[in-house]
Amino acid sequence: MTTTTPTTVARKPLDWRRVALHAGCLAALLVMLYPLAWLLATSVKPADEVIASLNLLPGKLEWSNYETALDGVNDVSVTRLLTNSLLIAGGAVIGNVISCSLAAYAFARLRFRFRGPLFAFMIATIMLPHHAVLIPQYIIFNQLGMVNTYWPLILPKFLATEAFFVFLIVQFMRGLPRELEEAARIDGCGPFRSFFSVILPLTRPALITTAIFTFIWTWNDFFTQLIYLFSPEKFTLTLALRSFVDASSTSAFGPMFAMSVIALLPIVLFFLAFQRFLVEGMANSGIKG
Amino acid sequence: MTTTQTQAAVRGPKAEVPQKPVRRRREGAAWVFLSPWVLGACVLTLLPMAVSLYLSFTDYDLFNAPNWVGLRNYTQMFTEDPRYWRSVGATLTYVVIAVPLQLALALVVALALKGMKRGRAFYRSAFYAPSLLGASMSIALVWRAIFNDGGTVDNLFGTGGWVNKPGWALFAVALLTVWQFGAPMVIFLAGLQQIPGELYEAAEVDGASRWRQFLSITVPMLSPVIFFNLVLQTIQAFQVFTPAFAVSAGKGGPADSTLFYTLYLYDRGFVASHMGYASAMAWVLLIAIGAVTAVLFRTSRSWVFYASEGDR
Amino acid sequence: MPGSRTRTSFRPRAAATALALCVVLAGCSGGDASSSAGGKVVLRYTWWGNPDRAARTQEAVDLFEKKNPGIEVQTSFSGYDAYKQKLATQAAGGDAPDVMQLDYRMIDQYASGGVLMDFAEQPAALDTGEFDAGLLATGKVDGKQYAIPQARGTETVVYDTEQWKASGVELPRQGWTWSDWADAMRALAEKTGKPGATDPGQSEDAFEIWLRGQGKALYTKDRKLGFTADDLARWWTFTDKLRREGVVSSAEQTSQIDGTVENTPLGRGYVIADTNWDAPSSGFLALIPDGVTLAPMPSGEDGTPGQYFKPSMFMGVSADATHPKESVRLIDFMLNDAEAAKILGATRGIPVNETLRDAIAPELKDFDKTVYDFQASVDGKLEPPPQAPPSGDSALQTTFQRDYDQVSYERMSPREAAENYITEANAELRP
Repeated sequence: MTTTTPTTVARKPLDWRRVALHAGCLAALLVMLYPLAWLLATSVKPADEVIASLNLLPGKLEWSNYETALDGVNDVSVTRLLTNSLLIAGGAVIGNVISCSLAAYAFARLRFRFRGPLFAFMIATIMLPHHAVLIPQYIIFNQLGMVNTYWPLILPKFLATEAFFVFLIVQFMRGLPRELEEAARIDGCGPFRSFFSVILPLTRPALITTAIFTFIWTWNDFFTQLIYLFSPEKFTLTLALRSFVDASSTSAFGPMFAMSVIALLPIVLFFLAFQRFLVEGMANSGIKG
Repeated sequence: MTTTQTQAAVRGPKAEVPQKPVRRRREGAAWVFLSPWVLGACVLTLLPMAVSLYLSFTDYDLFNAPNWVGLRNYTQMFTEDPRYWRSVGATLTYVVIAVPLQLALALVVALALKGMKRGRAFYRSAFYAPSLLGASMSIALVWRAIFNDGGTVDNLFGTGGWVNKPGWALFAVALLTVWQFGAPMVIFLAGLQQIPGELYEAAEVDGASRWRQFLSITVPMLSPVIFFNLVLQTIQAFQVFTPAFAVSAGKGGPADSTLFYTLYLYDRGFVASHMGYASAMAWVLLIAIGAVTAVLFRTSRSWVFYASEGDR
Repeated sequence: MPGSRTRTSFRPRAAATALALCVVLAGCSGGDASSSAGGKVVLRYTWWGNPDRAARTQEAVDLFEKKNPGIEVQTSFSGYDAYKQKLATQAAGGDAPDVMQLDYRMIDQYASGGVLMDFAEQPAALDTGEFDAGLLATGKVDGKQYAIPQARGTETVVYDTEQWKASGVELPRQGWTWSDWADAMRALAEKTGKPGATDPGQSEDAFEIWLRGQGKALYTKDRKLGFTADDLARWWTFTDKLRREGVVSSAEQTSQIDGTVENTPLGRGYVIADTNWDAPSSGFLALIPDGVTLAPMPSGEDGTPGQYFKPSMFMGVSADATHPKESVRLIDFMLNDAEAAKILGATRGIPVNETLRDAIAPELKDFDKTVYDFQASVDGKLEPPPQAPPSGDSALQTTFQRDYDQVSYERMSPREAAENYITEANAELRP
């Protein structure tokens, strides 16, 4: 049993278990991050080295790949694209966190008619491949006059259409003891107050997970953005960068890798900034009561 | 714990028949909470689903008015299309390989990080990093460079290429999914944090071993989250599209070895414009996944523990 | 959706209408996509391409707007694969852009689906006097002109100049036959120790040229297959034998072809020659330091050329375009205006307007010049192009590769695979 006792003046004996843990993690990381290193290295390789060369490190640095990648978006400023991306991803995060937690609370903690069948239906909605409903959805948004606006990208999130997150939050809420709300009810709280002041704070890990995933997945969701956005000034960063790299026309692997790195940067920063909230779970949320 | 005290007080009235008005009010409250979902489900989900179900009985080709053909798409799929069955086989193999591997890896890493005092934030970010990428064209090219003839894997282990051999390509694609295990890992971590520390403290006092603690505290308390990951990853694995699409440049090759179900569905629907046929494929997939998920839900009763229902 | 099948005059995209009905019933019908802003006619124009093409197209469009103050053109673009799916979704949703760039393989499908306008409706707005009649005819479906070719390209044997010369094997010449080609590849393989060429068995394009060399065609005029299982089995037996001898690339190398030059066996340095379209071959320059040469495709044994000038891209107008006249005028400008031609150069291939083609020739540089010269060298020696392939063809190109995979990985004999393909193709082409 390794219980960490407060260290005394004497030097702590080497904790072999911890060393092994770190060594294991680092070794695993080495393997896992190798492809990423490859991606980074390739983004500064000249064209004839991209595929042919087996060396990880480029023979000579080709920074022009980055210039070419950014060249494509010169008509619309990068700030504009970034703002668009942030607007969509931010809207999606807010929408998903609100709507999915509301629906999840009903499914997890409240009783109502047809709860079972409705829950089953909700799960079923993620079983149909999205290619099959793409065209009907496009037609609906087109009829609503929403094509070439951000509504098709944001509105669904406010309507809890992502069953993944509803189910995720449901599972976390079901893990909370029922006595919590019953205590709240004794104190005179209705379902709304107990949702906001009891359940929601305790579901924070799930909500933060939802927020982070929504942001990253929305950011990377090239396809929906492609289908619904027409005007280049409405394009997102992902869309603009990817639109310009047309693999079928000329040799552009170097710029394409550079583009991937550029598109990746904002979400890396986002993840680094927000991942620390993942740590705060129980410790700060006060279930200890 | 204050909850334990109130709990005793609460249990009494709860057992009795609740008064009707309260019940009605709570039912009304439930619909308020559900209202966004109901609206979204009706307009953005149910309607398109109904349309695709209808189209599955037609010869819809994206450009011309659909004609009703009854069950022809379905019979053609089951009896006349060998490539369809190849895609079913490839998908099942993929599900069986990728889901357990990815979940096991995510759980092991999450547990390792949980016990860590220092560097947890660093490791968590680093292990999540591959998942930030998604399965873009560029990561697919990296993957092919690594798993091709003369690529890294070939050089290290002398296995030859993977992505260019029909028997091996599927493993390379599955590894791409497994490699991006960040999402289930983060969900496991979130679940681990929700387990009250007192449980472990109490067990420690009782002198329970680590292994014992894992089995009797971690696993049951984490079971809703394990279940979530299992269900969702299984559903997603059945629908695997992007990794194979990217790695095989949309063809599902070599020799159809990575022609997964949704890849073939896409091919039929958008390349060959047989949207009716593709819709039929989608509904067969929905039923198949539904059956598997139903089985998972059925078994969950015996191993998933919900604190909210724990005292029953 | 009752009733939608019974009306014979039903507009295409019935699903759109059916859904529209649902939405209208739900009482939330949205606004019509505005097609005029501030008294200006607004056109939507989409294409696929790379940054260079986008910049030049935008410049040409700006010029068009300057010359036509009453018209505003909204442009949008993406990579080819993304473009294809986006356009299909838009077309199915009844929301096709006014002016769109089209591929050879899209025309029949889009035209017969009622997405495209017949240019006969706007005869005055477009001048086709400078276009080659044969090339122009490729944009016709059932005798109606639904699309206008923008540029032309042709298939070529592209090879690593230095390596071929160093091997001492006789260089390709005009009028060489497929057996000359096979002999040359054998000699190359013997001299250099690596396969001479990329296995052409997987390429429907190469097969078409081989087939045309025998006086046949991929498709008949009435949209049926123009060849038999015997023909295909002969072609695949020919390439399969070469592959087994190590004269063309192995299955493992060939199957990695994904549409990029980087992943072709030639781009990766495994072979010395490849078959490819002329303009996209410029990609090899960055990969092969000593450069590449374009040579004519082999002819049939009796000298019948199989190669032809294929329109590389088309422009079409949506049947639902609110301003068809202005849409056609934009196309006319892009294809016939001398200033526009100068701006556009060869970014979409060598222009089809013959006067403009000669006018821009002196200004072409680098590989554009190579392509121009190559096209000039075969011009006048080729047969006219076939009409646009029938709609089922878009799927068959991949099917062709998939079936050949079965041959090259030795899971099926050429004969079995060929019969498979014929069955699948007939099902695709079923009216």
